[in-house]
Amino acid sequence: MAEYRAIRIEKGSGGFGGPLVVKGTEEKNKVMYITGGGVAPEFLDKIVELAGLEPVNGFKTSCPENEIALVIIDCGGTLRCGLYPKKRIPTININPVGKAGPLAQFIKEDIYVSGVTAANISLADASEAPIGGDSADQDGAASGASTAAAAASDNGASDRTSESGEKKGKYESGKKISEQMAESGNANLMTKIGLGAGKVIATFNQAARDAIQTCITTLLPFMAFVSMLIGIINGSGFGEAFSNLLHPLLGNTVGLLILGIICSIPGLSALLGPGAVISQILGGIFGAEIASGNISPSMSLIGLFALNCHAACDFIPVGLGLAEAETETVEVGVVSVMYSRFITSWVRILLAVVGSIGLYTAAV
Amino acid sequence: MDFIVKLAAGFMNLFTLGGQQFMNWVTGIIPTILMLLVLMNAIIALIGDQRVEKIAKVCTSNPILRYAVLPFISAFMLGNPMALSMGKFMPEFYKPSYYASASYHCHTNSGIFPHINPAEILIFLGIANGISQLGLDTTQLAIRYMLVGIIANFISGYVTDFTTRFVERQQGIKLSRELKAHI
Repeated sequence: MAEYRAIRIEKGSGGFGGPLVVKGTEEKNKVMYITGGGVAPEFLDKIVELAGLEPVNGFKTSCPENEIALVIIDCGGTLRCGLYPKKRIPTININPVGKAGPLAQFIKEDIYVSGVTAANISLADASEAPIGGDSADQDGAASGASTAAAAASDNGASDRTSESGEKKGKYESGKKISEQMAESGNANLMTKIGLGAGKVIATFNQAARDAIQTCITTLLPFMAFVSMLIGIINGSGFGEAFSNLLHPLLGNTVGLLILGIICSIPGLSALLGPGAVISQILGGIFGAEIASGNISPSMSLIGLFALNCHAACDFIPVGLGLAEAETETVEVGVVSVMYSRFITSWVRILLAVVGSIGLYTAAV
Repeated sequence: MDFIVKLAAGFMNLFTLGGQQFMNWVTGIIPTILMLLVLMNAIIALIGDQRVEKIAKVCTSNPILRYAVLPFISAFMLGNPMALSMGKFMPEFYKPSYYASASYHCHTNSGIFPHINPAEILIFLGIANGISQLGLDTTQLAIRYMLVGIIANFISGYVTDFTTRFVERQQGIKLSRELKAHI
């Protein structure tokens, strides 16, 4: 009887999801791989060795779903990457693909991890709870009563297999083929090139998906919001009044310097920060004023620095948390960064003034 | 009656103008940004985070590497806000300074490399769009933004070393100058 250990699988570079902690049970003791036309992934041996799971080649044999502890796929973002997460079977995707394809809504961090290489797989700490137990329940609930009977009979079969020790009559063919493929896989250059090209294409495809996602979720909404504001400001005549009001501040170096210093006053700077919303609105207005000729384009660089002196002052505790700073460091850091923002704001703007020498002067 | 018609027309005009501004941004900004984002995302995925971490460990030793080189690389490779996480390779004392520099790097470099901070890119794009409406080239602005930024961000980081020392004295706390061994 094999001994099952919990393994921890983290996402690789550019990957999504995870970390997953997977542990085989008497019932769920298979790792099925459906990759590269039947070529075993390079880290399969490591999983088999660490977790004590039995490998099954999904292209050659099939295996009842309730025996699968883990699925390995190399899907570029079409169907397969969502299929097993939908069934709540822990899924490793070799390609760095995130939420994609028609089943994207089932691809969640707690059941799916992508971009995985051998370096991302390790034995789990004892404290980490494996997800296998949960998924068994949900499988049962999802598949309903009719499959429950079938599952019971399958359990019997798998028990017999594991009791018969290392011989494993039923899956002998699966093992053998995986070994054959591993041997021939090393020799077969075409397969390697094919898999390599597939990975590059999948990476670019995912990059495009991420880019479109960024446009839809962050860029377009903000553009719509600021466009509406600018429309109202310009159309209502408020714009002229507003720019008359702000012109003394936005239109010349001294005004921008004052604006920058005011914005970076400790405390105020943290209030102005969130999402850089205020900076972005002012940026939009500043640009519109440049386009309409109220502000000289040679002021643009100074504007960029002046409008954003207080950048990220609201984010200091989170940012330091990302850097794994201790509590004391955060206490000191929040105050320290606000002070330094205040102290350096005028230096930055003056540097921008120096940097603006010769900028768009021909146009004026 | 005329008054109501004028009022309605004026009201709609506000949103027509807003729509024009929106179309201007969508057609002028989105296509190029999108192509750049695709390439940058792919490059980052292919190079991988592990290599950046290796560089980070080397860069903690002196101020120029710490506040000019490492934040630049981190911002390019990891973007906002994950670039800030590279501070974990610093001794506690330098973490606020790294933050001060790296968070600025996520803005000043986003003119040329929009993938660094797409959520807050409108600060640059808003101004740059005004420039391009005048028929001028915005590349000049983007490059100057980055170059001036590198100098200014270094100063911002370096000055924070002093303000941290000041706040330490104020609060009676002493932060570790040594790198923790377990990293």
